[in-house]
Amino acid sequence: MAALVDGAPEPQESSPIPGQGKPARVRFVGAWWAPALALSGVGLVGAAEAQRSNAGREIFFNIEQGWAVYALMAALVGLLAYGIVRHATLWMIGKPTPGLLGEVPLRFRNALRLGIGQEKVRRDPYAGIMHTCIFFSIVVLTIVTAQVAIDDDLGLHFLQGDYYLFFSFYGDLFGLIGLVGVGMALYRRYFDDLHRIRWDERVEDHLIIGGLGLLLLSGFLVEAFRINVTELEQHPEWAKWSFVAWGLAEALNVIDLTEGQTLTGHVWMWWGHIVLAFAWLGLIVFTRLDHIFFAPVNAFLLRTDSPGRLATIENIEEQEVFGVGQIQDFTWKQLFELDACVRCGRCSEVCPANVAGQPLSPMHLIQDLKAHLASVGPDIQRAGHEEGDVRAVSPLAMTGEVIGDETLWACRTCGACMQECPVMIEHVPTIVDMRRYLVMDEARIPASAQQALENIEMRGHPWRGTTLERTTWMEGLGDVPLFDGSQEYLYWVGCSGSLVERNLPVTQSVFRLLREAGASFGVLGQEETCNGDPARRMGNEYLFQILAQQLVETFKAKQVQRVITNCPHCFNTFKNEYPQFDGHFEVLHHTEFLVQALDEGKLTPRFALDESMTYHDSCYLGRMNGQYEAPRQIIEVIDGAEFTEMKRTRSKGLCCGAGGGNMWQEEVGERRVNHVRTEEAVGTGADQVVSNCPFCIQMFEDGIPSIQPEEEGRIAAFDIAELLERAVLGPDGAGSDGARPAGAGAEAGTGASSTGQ
Amino acid sequence: MHFVVCAKQIPDPETPPAAFRIDEQSNEVVPAQGIAPVLSQFDGMAAEAALRVKETAGDDTKITVISMGKESAQAAIKQVLAMGADEGLLLEDDAFEGGDSYTTATVLSAAIEKLGDVDAVFCGRQAADWDMGQVGLGISELMNWPGSIIASDVQVADGKMSVKRVLADGFETVEVPMPAVVTVSNELGEPRYPKLQQIMQAARKTVNTMTAADLGLDASSVGAAGARLKLERLFIPEVGGDCDMIEGESPEEQAQALVAALREAKVL
Ligand code: SF4
Ligand code: SF4
Repeated sequence: MAALVDGAPEPQESSPIPGQGKPARVRFVGAWWAPALALSGVGLVGAAEAQRSNAGREIFFNIEQGWAVYALMAALVGLLAYGIVRHATLWMIGKPTPGLLGEVPLRFRNALRLGIGQEKVRRDPYAGIMHTCIFFSIVVLTIVTAQVAIDDDLGLHFLQGDYYLFFSFYGDLFGLIGLVGVGMALYRRYFDDLHRIRWDERVEDHLIIGGLGLLLLSGFLVEAFRINVTELEQHPEWAKWSFVAWGLAEALNVIDLTEGQTLTGHVWMWWGHIVLAFAWLGLIVFTRLDHIFFAPVNAFLLRTDSPGRLATIENIEEQEVFGVGQIQDFTWKQLFELDACVRCGRCSEVCPANVAGQPLSPMHLIQDLKAHLASVGPDIQRAGHEEGDVRAVSPLAMTGEVIGDETLWACRTCGACMQECPVMIEHVPTIVDMRRYLVMDEARIPASAQQALENIEMRGHPWRGTTLERTTWMEGLGDVPLFDGSQEYLYWVGCSGSLVERNLPVTQSVFRLLREAGASFGVLGQEETCNGDPARRMGNEYLFQILAQQLVETFKAKQVQRVITNCPHCFNTFKNEYPQFDGHFEVLHHTEFLVQALDEGKLTPRFALDESMTYHDSCYLGRMNGQYEAPRQIIEVIDGAEFTEMKRTRSKGLCCGAGGGNMWQEEVGERRVNHVRTEEAVGTGADQVVSNCPFCIQMFEDGIPSIQPEEEGRIAAFDIAELLERAVLGPDGAGSDGARPAGAGAEAGTGASSTGQ
Repeated sequence: MHFVVCAKQIPDPETPPAAFRIDEQSNEVVPAQGIAPVLSQFDGMAAEAALRVKETAGDDTKITVISMGKESAQAAIKQVLAMGADEGLLLEDDAFEGGDSYTTATVLSAAIEKLGDVDAVFCGRQAADWDMGQVGLGISELMNWPGSIIASDVQVADGKMSVKRVLADGFETVEVPMPAVVTVSNELGEPRYPKLQQIMQAARKTVNTMTAADLGLDASSVGAAGARLKLERLFIPEVGGDCDMIEGESPEEQAQALVAALREAKVL
C-alpha cells in the first residue's frame, strides 16, 4: 500500500515511460533529529574530553532556592495532565473510530514525517522556515536545559572542557535561530495585513509569539549577566563561545554596573526567565500551542487508505441516526482533530469555495465545531454518564445551525484543505458526515441537488433532461465491442461520457485510441448505470451502497477484472471505494492507460500540434489519487505542444468547482469557482486548457464565455485524450478510420450496432 | 381526516427521443428497454399537497395512496409512502387494461367508496403520459363531490377546502365543502425528498391489492370493455423542416425576396 505522504498516495512508483521517471525525490524525512543526535554524540565525546580540558561553569550559579524550579516543573506536569484529561473526556463522547489498529508501522512513519518532521508545514516555504527555526530552537534548547539538569542532578559533570565550549556555542546558535523564527512570525502577524493567520486572530496568538520572543531574549540576558561577572573576567576566551551572550555581556560593561548590581540583575533575570518559561509551557494547556502534542498524534491517527475513500456506514438500515447531526455523532478521532487545529488558515486559503467568496471556510468550520464541542460537550458527557437524554442537551442543532446547510453544500470534496492542513485534519469526511445527516435524516437538500439525486434513483444517472442515450456516442464508430468477459479491459464510459453532449467526443477519442492501441476491451452500453459517486458525495450513502452493491455484482457476473474509466470520479470510486463492497478490480484512468500504450509503442504521436496549452489537475485524479505525472507525460511526447503550468498546480491545483455534487447545484456567493479557475487558465496565455475529467471540461466551457466575452482568441477546453487523438490519428482522425478498417484493432466481441440498442 | 392520493405509474417522460417507440399495429407504446417507469410527476405534487395539509392538520390525518395499474406500480405507491403517506392500495386486474379516463375514474371512485371515510382526494392535474387531465374531475363527478382543478395551494380548515387555482392570467381561490376532489399543479412546488427512515419504513409496508370483484365492479364497466374513448391510431408524427436560403446582394434585396417568398407561401 502506498504510503500517505501528502495525504494522498504516492504517485505511481513505476513510471510508464522509461527514462522519464520522476527523479527520486530525496526527502530528509524527519531530519530534525539529525542535529540533536550529532550534538549528543559530540556530548559524549566531550564528556570524555572533559578530563583534559578544565573549561566549565557552576550550575545554579548565584541562585539559591534552585529547588523551586522542580516545584514549577511538577506544577507544569500536573497542569498538562489536567489539560489532557479535560480534553479527553470531551473526545470520548464521540463514537468509536474504526480501523485505527491497522497499519501501525505506517502510522508511526506518518507521526514521524508529518507530525514531528512537519512535512506539510513546509508546503508554505516562509512558514516552513519560520516554524523549523522555532521548532529546532525549542528542541535544542530543551536538550541544552536537560543537559544542565542532568549534569547537576545526576552528578555527571560532563559540561566541562571542550564540550562545554561547544555546548555554549550551539546553545547560543539555536537561541539565535529561534529569534530569527520569532522575527519572521512577528513580521507575518503584525506587518502583513492580509495574512491568513489573521483570519481568526485571538489574544493567545500574541501571548504565544510575544512570550517566546521574550523567553529567548531573557535567556540570552541571564547568560550575559552571568558571563559578565564570571567568564568575561576569568576566561574571556571561553566566553566567546557563547557568542551572542558574550556580545551582550560586553555591552553590559558599557553601562558600567557594579558587580553587586550585576549579580542582582542576574538573579532577577534568571527567575524572570524561569517563570516565563514555565508560564509559556503552561500555555500548551489553554491555547493552540497544544498542537505540540496533538499534531504528531493526529498524524498517527491519519487515515492510512486513500483520501478519496469515504467511510461506509455499516448496517445502514439499523442506524438510528444517519450521518452526523450532533457533536457526539462524530467519531472520537474527528473530535480529537478539532482540538488539533491551529487556526493557520491554510485550508481556507486553498478552499475553492472560500476563494470564490462562498459561504464555506474550512478553518472556521473546524473552529465552530471545536467551540461547539467545548460548549455542549461537558453537558453531553454528563448526560451520557447519567444515562440522560443525550440528544436533548444541545440547544442548537449542530448540523444546520452551528454549521449552516449552505456551508456544507458549498464543499467540493476537493481535498485541498486536507492536503494543506499541517496538523492532518480531515475535513472532507467530517463535512460529508454532516451532509449525510442533512440528506438521509432531515431530507433537507438544495432543490437542484435533489433533482440530481432523484434522477439517479429513477434513471440511474444524474443528468436530468438529457436526450442522449448511453449508446449515442457509438454512432459512426463502426463496431463497438460489448464486454462479454473475454476481453482484457472493460471500458467504463460513465454517465457524463455518454449522456452529456460535450463529453461524447472525449469518449470517442478514448475509444479510437484504445482501438488504435490494439487494446482488448469492451463496453457495457445500455447496461451502465451510475456507480454512485455523486450520491455518496452528496450524502446519500444509502443510495450509494445500493448502486455500488449492484454494480459490483454486475462486474463480477461479467468477470470484469480490469477497468479503464473516462472519469476520475468513476476511477476513484471503483478503485478506492468498491473494495468496501468486496469489489476488487484493477482500475486505470484513461490517462494512465494512454501513457502505458505510448510507452509500449502501441500509440505513436505522428502529428505535430503547434498549440500552447496548460493543464488542469482534476482533484480526483490528482490530490485524491496522486496521479500528476501521466497526463503531463502525454503532453510531453506531443510534438510542438508548448506547455505552461498554472500557478496553482499539481497537489495545489484549484478545483474546477464541480466536485462534491456541485456540478448539479446553484452556487451561492460572490463568484463562481469555475470563473476563478478559468481566469487562472486564461492567465497563462495558453490557447487550450487540458484536463482529464468530464466535469472539469464542462466547468471550463461554462466559465470561458464569462471570462473572455470576446469569441475571438478564446481559450478552449479539451480532454487529454482528445489532444492525444489529434497527435496520433491526425486532426481528422484519418490515421484510424481512414487508413485502417474500422475496428481492426479491437478484439472480437459482440458487435453493438452503431445505432444502439 | 382521511385523504386519498391517486398515483399513476407512467413511462418515463424523460425517455430519450431515440428510445421512444410505438407499435402502430397494436396502437401501444413499446416500453423502452432498460428505462424504468416512474411516478407521474404531478401525482408526486398531489402527494406533497396532501402531506402539507396533514402537517398542519395533525397526526390523526391518514393518507392512503391508490394506484390502478400493474404489479410494477407498487414502486410508485412505495414512493409516496416514503414521502410520508400511511397506507397503499393497488387496484390490479386484467380487466382494468385498455381503459380510458372514464373507466379509470370509475375504478378509483369505487375504491374511494370502499375506503368509506374519505374527506379529500388529491390527484395530479394530469398524468404526464397522456396528459388528459380527466380523471380527477371524473372522480368528482362520479362521487358527486366538488372538484377544483390545477391547484397551486391547498388548505383545509373547518371541514372546508380552500384551493388556490392557477388561471391563464393569475390565480383564484375557491372554497369548497368537503369531501372534495382537487387536482394539483406544479406551481405547488417540488415533492419532498423522503427521509431514509421513511424509505425503509415504506419498504416494510405491505400494499393491499384489490381487483374488480373486490370493488364490486362488473368487468364490462371497466378497462377496454367500459371505455368510451376509442384510440384510432397511435403514431409519431413526422416533423420535417426545409430551409431555403434567401439570396440577395444587399439586406434590402434580401428583405424583398423574403417578403416575396412569404407571400408565395401564403404566409403573408
Ligand atoms: S474539500 Fe475543498 S471545497 Fe471542501 S472544504 Fe476542503 S478545500 Fe473547501
Ligand atoms: S484545519 Fe488545519 S489547515 Fe485549517 S486552520 Fe486548522 S490547522 Fe490550519
